[in-house]
Amino acid sequence: MATEAAPMDEKAKRMRDLLSSFYTPDPSISTPTSSISTSFDNINGPSFDADQYMDLMIKKSNLDVLLQRHVQMAAEIKNLDTDLQMLVYENYNKFISATDTIKRMKSNIFGMEGNMDQLLHKIMSVQSRSDGVNTSLFEKREHIEKLHRTRNLLRKVQQFIYDLPARLQKCIKSEAYGDAVRFYTGAMPILKVYGDTSFKDCRRASEEAIETIIKNLQTKLFSDSESIQARAEAAVLLKQLDVPVDSLKDKLLEKLEQSLDGLQINPDEASKLAEHNVSSKDEESNNQGPAKIHEDAVRGFSEAMRAYREIFPDSEERLFKLARALTTTHFENMELYIRKRVSAADFLGIFREYSAFPPADVLLLSNSLRIIWEDVVLMDEVLPEAALSDLSAEAAQVTLKQFVARTFSHLQQDISDTLLKFDINQKEVVDGEVLKVVLEASGKAEFRQLLDENTGIFVKMNDLLIGWIQKGFQDFFSEKIHAGLILVLAQLSVVIEQKVIPRIAEEITASFSGGNSQAFIPGELCRVFHAASEKLLQHYIDTRTQKISNVLRKRFKTPNWVKHKEPREVHMYVDMLLQQLEEVGKEVKQILPQGTFRKHKRSDSNGSNTTTSSRSTTLHSDKMARSNSQRARSQLFETHLAKLFKQKVEIFTKVEFTQESVVTTTVKLCLKSLQEYVRLQTFNRSGFQQIQLDIQFLKAPLKETVEDEAAIDFLLDEVIVAASERCLDVTPLEPPILDKLIQAKLAKSKEHNNNNNKTTVSS
Amino acid sequence: MQGGSSGIGYGLKYQARCISDVKADTDYTSFLTGTLSLKEENEVHLLRLSSGGSELICEGLFSHPNEIWDLASCPFDQRIFSTVFSTGESYGAAIWQIPELYGQLNSPQLERVASLDAHVGKINCVLWWPSGRCDKLISMDEQNIFLWSLDCSNKSAEVLSKDSAGMLHSLSGGAWDPHDVNAVAATGESSVQFWDLRTMKKVNSIERAHVRGVDYNPKREHILITAEDESGIHVWDLRKAKAPVQELPGHTHWTWAVKCNPEYDGLILSAGTDSAVNLWYASASSTNNKAPESPVESTRERVNLLLNSYTDYEDSVYGLAWSSREPWVFASLSYDGRVVIESVKPFLPRL
Repeated sequence: MATEAAPMDEKAKRMRDLLSSFYTPDPSISTPTSSISTSFDNINGPSFDADQYMDLMIKKSNLDVLLQRHVQMAAEIKNLDTDLQMLVYENYNKFISATDTIKRMKSNIFGMEGNMDQLLHKIMSVQSRSDGVNTSLFEKREHIEKLHRTRNLLRKVQQFIYDLPARLQKCIKSEAYGDAVRFYTGAMPILKVYGDTSFKDCRRASEEAIETIIKNLQTKLFSDSESIQARAEAAVLLKQLDVPVDSLKDKLLEKLEQSLDGLQINPDEASKLAEHNVSSKDEESNNQGPAKIHEDAVRGFSEAMRAYREIFPDSEERLFKLARALTTTHFENMELYIRKRVSAADFLGIFREYSAFPPADVLLLSNSLRIIWEDVVLMDEVLPEAALSDLSAEAAQVTLKQFVARTFSHLQQDISDTLLKFDINQKEVVDGEVLKVVLEASGKAEFRQLLDENTGIFVKMNDLLIGWIQKGFQDFFSEKIHAGLILVLAQLSVVIEQKVIPRIAEEITASFSGGNSQAFIPGELCRVFHAASEKLLQHYIDTRTQKISNVLRKRFKTPNWVKHKEPREVHMYVDMLLQQLEEVGKEVKQILPQGTFRKHKRSDSNGSNTTTSSRSTTLHSDKMARSNSQRARSQLFETHLAKLFKQKVEIFTKVEFTQESVVTTTVKLCLKSLQEYVRLQTFNRSGFQQIQLDIQFLKAPLKETVEDEAAIDFLLDEVIVAASERCLDVTPLEPPILDKLIQAKLAKSKEHNNNNNKTTVSS
Repeated sequence: MQGGSSGIGYGLKYQARCISDVKADTDYTSFLTGTLSLKEENEVHLLRLSSGGSELICEGLFSHPNEIWDLASCPFDQRIFSTVFSTGESYGAAIWQIPELYGQLNSPQLERVASLDAHVGKINCVLWWPSGRCDKLISMDEQNIFLWSLDCSNKSAEVLSKDSAGMLHSLSGGAWDPHDVNAVAATGESSVQFWDLRTMKKVNSIERAHVRGVDYNPKREHILITAEDESGIHVWDLRKAKAPVQELPGHTHWTWAVKCNPEYDGLILSAGTDSAVNLWYASASSTNNKAPESPVESTRERVNLLLNSYTDYEDSVYGLAWSSREPWVFASLSYDGRVVIESVKPFLPRL
């Protein structure tokens, strides 16, 4: 049994160790005994071998000891058993209580969910409450912050106002009125409201300072020595200070008006200027003087206007009025001046004497117009709303219209009075210049206006121009005036067509770079003038030939050609014819340019026209030499034959604007008329001889004056042929007799010329 | 000379001034023309335009005792016509009848129906009433105007009435109003004068010098056209005769004759001494429209007025006549005796 007990003890001990090691973390404390025993006899050691221990025990110890040992071991086992039981019990107890606790916990957890929800809800409501509180308090907080800032500001303002008088004084000293006014106006409201309180002293002091400032500013405003800007500033400052400026404004504007009077001497200056120009070319530098002064004055004026406009924005109306008044006065003066100049008796004289210059009037007019235009431009910049350009354009139109009308009427008068004494080219220049100036002015004037308006006005302008000219022409036509005048007009039209219109076109393209050229079609205008000039030239020739026709008509109506007496001398109508032609020649020479080519002299030319004409003469002289009875018949035949072989002489060619062309055309038409008159008559022998003689005499002088000899020869021959056809008895004069009669006539006319050159009296 | 002429030519032997449309010939387009030769035997030619319109045939050739200054065909009898002739020293006027059997005779003589021998001065023209059968005739010399009553069957003419225009006026030609059998216009030295044949008194005048030709517009009443030496052609409305309704430039030299087309209103033909015949169109609308136009327009219009200029002539053109049967055809006669028939069809404006 001992053996059994021993293992039992050991087992219990081991159990005990395990348990104690389980329950007490420190094994050293729990097993002090086991550590004393050696490894073999350490029953608690892990390498304990019960058999070995038994063997060893038996071997070493005696019974007593063994017994002892056995008792000890049995007790130890007993102890261990109780310990074990205790432990198990305790553990069980603990387990039961743990189970109880868990059971309890379980029952507790069951009601928790609802509670949690409740809790959440509560927390939420708490949060919203806190938000509400927050917002309701926000405004107040802001307000408080603002108040805080205002308080800071007020503190500063207070500082500023307390400093104000000192600062103003400082400004006055340094003349920084602008700053002073700024400060004062800044402080004003405060002073006004709280002036009676603690700021009383400050207010008084600063008001005093401002008084001084106002005074200073007023003196500044009225002192002429100050620059306009400074004055304008002063005015602005005064205005800011609520000083009543209207009276000041009135005073200033009055001053301005007065200064305008200074500007209005302009036309007189200009006239002086023009007179300078007329009297001497060298004095041109002088001309610049008044012009410059004037320009400066106007510039000053416009500056002042600008300033005033800035100063008194509400006074624009008045300024407009002023500017308009200025322009109007300008134009009135111009008008006056034009009237004066144009009606002056020396109108003609000026042109004639100073033919080297462009006419003074036109120069003057254009000068004045230019000056005025410049003024207007200057002013227009300042007052664009005043529509000064419109006004001036209108006024310029009116003035120029007047001018042109006046010049035209004078022109008309003068021309009809003194056509032949007068150098006509001058007048062309006048008219040309006038037109140019008109167009220039209009071109410039309209530059600023709206495009639509432009077109309208331009078209109107064109119409006006054409209207004036045509009216002028018609006036000329309706009155039966000198034929030369028509010629002048024809030439004038040419000049307009060739020179003026291109210039106008240039002017217009220069003015309207935008390409608004539909309104003005130079081609069309040119065509009109071209047509007009051709018509006028034709008209001139018509009137001339009509006159000559009358001479011829009388010549052929009056005598009874069938009972004509033998020719004794060249008939007087030849003289009249030549005289008329000479007159034409004279007029033409004065007015029209010479042709590009000189007439061919028969002697030194082998041109084609010479051959035809000489052929016709030979034929003719053959005819004349022969004097057989059958001549009439053969002559007609011959004429037809000659016509067949001769190239048709172009009698009616186009008239050109040259002296020769016009004279030639006139002569041709006259000879054709002569032929027609001859064809209407019937001649006896003497009548035919008279015609022969007259024509023979005409030959030489006509060839002198005329360009196309072939045609003249042809026409003269035609007259003879016509006469021979209408003659009952064709017997030409013998050449010697013909010669003698012609020589007699020449001698007579020469003598006549020597005796009295006053008039060409018909013999 | 200026090529491309479509005209049909016919040459007379001598010079000639006058040509007349044979209005009474309804079967053919024919013209009568007479020569003007002082010394040779003068002829009257009856010309007929072939049916194809390509040829001008001499239908009859009759000798006439003196040179012919004016010739007018009777509007109701194609065989009767009047001439004004001159011996060189004296003038005469007569009504002639083309003989019945002239086709068979070699050189048939004209039958003299009547002589208008009351004149003393230079006779200018004999007028038939252009609109139809009227047994009255008008003849003019330089100072007087005569109204004749013609009796063809009895071969006699009597002076019904006469009036003197006065020495100074020296009449040169005239026209009988186709709208009014009692109105006659005569051209004078310084004016165009109008007679009322019932009273044989002057009733009106247009002061216009040197009028050569005058013609009434057969399509419109009160419209008269004049041709003047230097100043071209004028259209007048006789109700307001102060100023012309329209002006046409006329010719380079004198405008000698002017004729209104019998059918197309506004179509005017003029002949001039510049050896040309001009065809004008003076439209009715432009004559009514007297408002002043812009100068540009009026010149443009003027250019368009001249429809064509026939220049293929060697000498002055004095004779001019529209055909009444084919109103687009006209005959022109230049002084060298050349008759040219032209058609204006290619130049007519689109009406």
